[in-house]
Amino acid sequence: MSLFGFGRPQPTSAEKIAAVENELRVVAEMHSRMIKLCTLKCVDKTYREGELSKGESVCLDRCAAKFFEAHQTISEQLQREGAARGFGA
Amino acid sequence: MSRLLPKLIRPTVSYRPSAITPLSTSGLTAAESRELEQRLQKRQVKEFMTVFGNLVDNCFAACVDDFTSRALSGRETGCLSRCVTKSMATQTRLGERFAELNAAMTAEMQKR
Repeated sequence: MSLFGFGRPQPTSAEKIAAVENELRVVAEMHSRMIKLCTLKCVDKTYREGELSKGESVCLDRCAAKFFEAHQTISEQLQREGAARGFGA
Repeated sequence: MSRLLPKLIRPTVSYRPSAITPLSTSGLTAAESRELEQRLQKRQVKEFMTVFGNLVDNCFAACVDDFTSRALSGRETGCLSRCVTKSMATQTRLGERFAELNAAMTAEMQKR
């Protein structure tokens, strides 16, 4: 989705840089939340071993995939229900 | 204060701007790109500090529970060491998965 179409005032440098920074901030937050959650759900909290077991590794992979899917599912539903209730686009 | 902070190794970022924001980064001039690079470097340092803080919180909470002494016991020290190693491995693995999944999600969003 491009925000910059014809007939609109060109975005300033500051706006362009802010847009990229913003996108990155969102992604970084998602990254950090995913790590926190998946560590909580998959990694042995007693730290008896210094290495990830095979089970933990597989769990982490699946956790990451499910996290993304959950993110998208929730996002879509929120948009549908939000639109129905008249929240902003 | 500086002795409390580990010597900062340049943090490796698992997501480069151009890889995840093809929409925003197209159309930046050279000067704007440079400015962006600088801001991102500052951000990376801040992020590293957050990661470090979370690591200490997590490992301390998981490993340290014996307050009959002021010094860390051998058991606690071993646990902390394993916790750090494991956490780094977890970060690496999840970082790879994240980059893959994020790229796939971005590609799909662009198709729509």
